Amino acid sequence: MRDGSLGRVVALVRQDCRLLLRDPAPLIVRTVMPLLIMVFMQPLFRAALRADGESDANGAEQGVPGMAVMFLFFLVNIVGFAVFREHGWNTWDRLRAAGARTGELVAGRVVTPLLVALLQLAAVFGAGVLLFDLRVRGSWAALLVVAVPLSLCVVMVGMALTAVCRTIAQLSVLANLLALFFAGLGGALAPHATLPDWTRPLAPGVPSYWAMRGFTTVILDGGGVEDVLVPAAALCAFAVGLTALTLVFFRADQRKLSWS
Amino acid sequence: MPTDRAPDPAGTPALSLRGVGKRYGDTVALHDVSLDIAEGEIVGLLGHNGAGKSTLMSLTAGLLRPDTGQVQVCGEPVARARHRLGLAPQDLGVYPPLTVRQNLCFFAELAGLRGRDVQRRTDDVAEPLGLATLLDRRVARLSGGEQRRVHTAVALLHRPRLLLLDEPTAGVDVETRTRLIDFVRDLAATGTAVCYSTHYLAEVEALDADVAVLDHGRLIAKGSLQELVRSHGGGWVELTFTGAPPEARLPWPVTADGDTLRVRADQPHLALPEILAALGDGTSRLTNLNVVRPSLESVFLHLTGRRYTAQDDSPAGPSSTGPRDTPDGSPANGPRTTETVPHA
Repeated sequence: MRDGSLGRVVALVRQDCRLLLRDPAPLIVRTVMPLLIMVFMQPLFRAALRADGESDANGAEQGVPGMAVMFLFFLVNIVGFAVFREHGWNTWDRLRAAGARTGELVAGRVVTPLLVALLQLAAVFGAGVLLFDLRVRGSWAALLVVAVPLSLCVVMVGMALTAVCRTIAQLSVLANLLALFFAGLGGALAPHATLPDWTRPLAPGVPSYWAMRGFTTVILDGGGVEDVLVPAAALCAFAVGLTALTLVFFRADQRKLSWS
Repeated sequence: MPTDRAPDPAGTPALSLRGVGKRYGDTVALHDVSLDIAEGEIVGLLGHNGAGKSTLMSLTAGLLRPDTGQVQVCGEPVARARHRLGLAPQDLGVYPPLTVRQNLCFFAELAGLRGRDVQRRTDDVAEPLGLATLLDRRVARLSGGEQRRVHTAVALLHRPRLLLLDEPTAGVDVETRTRLIDFVRDLAATGTAVCYSTHYLAEVEALDADVAVLDHGRLIAKGSLQELVRSHGGGWVELTFTGAPPEARLPWPVTADGDTLRVRADQPHLALPEILAALGDGTSRLTNLNVVRPSLESVFLHLTGRRYTAQDDSPAGPSSTGPRDTPDGSPANGPRTTETVPHA
């Protein structure tokens, strides 16, 4: 990093945290929602897992990681809003005039949502254990090995969408669409084995598939860190690709509309 | 501190624009603009809406890239000299949910200040701008004028050598306007170069600033108030009629613009009786009469062919003496005479 670049990124991250703490309600709701849905869906997940041969499953093994993954991708909206609100407050140009470069602006907007994503996953999994009797047969460290690149993936989906969307309405629609599409195709809504045949060759093309594969390997199959390296690597590859997409399309001088 | 305050021994201007041009599609925003601002100099940037003032500010701040020409700040390309300039854009740019202190501290950190310097500079800029008692208030709960002061303070935290203020008094109260003008004068006295874009001619006069006039993207005049008034600032008598102005034979240049007749005269107040006599019965259709003594306003009128106040000033502006204004703010409904403050 050159001439104070790290300092500017740190200042941007701290500012993001301040703004988040001023209005944490959206994040709290997004963390509570998967748990709320679990209350209603657990019997269905239990039936699906038992039909798939997991005779002692209670449903939390599919429901907790599935809902965690699905609602994690709704965080994409939050990532984008952080950039769009800067345009709405006319502070974006002030950041640029203060010397913040494009890479620093992107980096400064990645760290806080990344931490939030990890926190959200931890909260959902923790509540899954306490409230829904989630039993993790494998290693918790292995869950972390999947969770970190997954969180990075989610944040970079948000940045990539922010790079290509001009209005907040575009961002919102695309983010919600992607979250549902990823959840369905990736096996977060229902075990992958129960999905239509045509989805199977397509599923590896979405990050949620690798996330669910990693989590299932640990929770149901008792896998350790070495067993989730492939899913984690796939998620890292997604994150790298999305980062490249962001850096190619993100233009700091593009005016974005915080309303539509 | 990231910015040293030692004057440049080589006399390098704080801002140097050379042949700068910028287009937006087919629209020419700036064409071949060259302008220097020395350390400690205040330049009042004048021009109608769309004249290119904000584009010039954005180019200088490095927010836009010029299509042609060069922009240098303290002798360096703007990309390498951003820490030397402070920008307060036209639109209010602060974080409403955060306190004044949080806003100022963040921008101070972004400018490279650390530790005690952040607090010290926050206090330094808050005091003269009347923000010291507001530091722990949320920006969203401040008045418009107070928010504007926070917005301006952000640009000053790192002691910039070049300060760009784009219409800093738009929509603010008289107290804030006076405070800002005093503060800008004090800054210039300590060596800060200031580029001050405004729609209020009286502010430029109060700042005793040099003047740069932009018109349709071109810099059409630059100089001190005295120089410009001397070379372009004859007075005017401006008469507005219902319908087309009547013909008048007068010993001074006369121009008609719609329903308005303008007569240029060095001493317009002395020429007035002769003008009214020459109009004869036409005075019955006279709805407004405006005497513009030699001043910045008459300079602007001479250079651009348009009054500065009629389209660009808000009615509350200090130099709003246009045909639509009356001293008591009542609507124009009959012949009146208004007069600008004569240039000292």
